[in-house]
Amino acid sequence: MKCEQCADKLDRYVDRELTNTEALEVQLHLEGCPDCMDHYEFQEHLKRVVKHSCDCDTAPKAFRDKLREILT
Amino acid sequence: MAEPAAQTAFAEEALTHLDTLYRGALRLTHDPDQAQDLVQEAYLRALRYQHSYQTGTNMKAWLFAIMRNLFWDRFKGSRKEDVSLDDVGDFVLYDKLKDEGAKPEADVLDKIAASEVVTAVDKLPPLHREVVLLVDVEGFSYKDAAETLGVPIGTVMSRLHRARQQLQKSLYEYAVESGIVHPGGPTQVSQT
Ligand SMILES: [Zn+2]
Ligand SMILES: [Zn+2]
Repeated sequence: MKCEQCADKLDRYVDRELTNTEALEVQLHLEGCPDCMDHYEFQEHLKRVVKHSCDCDTAPKAFRDKLREILT
Repeated sequence: MAEPAAQTAFAEEALTHLDTLYRGALRLTHDPDQAQDLVQEAYLRALRYQHSYQTGTNMKAWLFAIMRNLFWDRFKGSRKEDVSLDDVGDFVLYDKLKDEGAKPEADVLDKIAASEVVTAVDKLPPLHREVVLLVDVEGFSYKDAAETLGVPIGTVMSRLHRARQQLQKSLYEYAVESGIVHPGGPTQVSQT
């Protein structure tokens, strides 16, 4: 696998959307290519940071109670 | 109308996805009151169209689809905002950090406050923002995201890719403005 192909598949690799075979190919490339590995780790980290930053918003308890009242 | 007991069970199951819906509504409307209105309306509609939900399928995706369709009907006059994002390069933030010698690049991400990351997400055009919410925040598969948004998987992938580029661009700009990185010179990521 070339770096270009690896870059093409990086989103899907980070999102666990590749087939097992494809993922293995990417993994093998990453293990032998520090540049792509750096890119991968950065993307993975960015995804985690986005998740954790937006995650902390949860529905207020009063709103949850009100909905339960209305719906059930 | 379903039997009361069945209806209550349905509502209880639907309410287990409340945080996902509320978070999504909040990021789409940027307003807690509007988010609550939107989510309440979505739940009422979900109950009314309960029969169209197929048991055993992804209820979270089904509910999210109702909520975001309401959002687009209500707030955008049903016309999907057609903002496309420019290709700003694949690894904007990463590449710039590397150029500036900020090593390791990932450390810079940890210096950026969560609220700034949320701001960067909020600045994405809504069609791109909702893909990030589904895939990155809520962990939807591309397939579930595509069904929720009513677009092909390829569209999910391209919007996600552009959205991530744009996020990196915003975060880089923030990192420069706030002095986390200094453009034009080798940067020492300050230790805190
Ligand atoms: Zn490579
Ligand atoms: Zn981190």
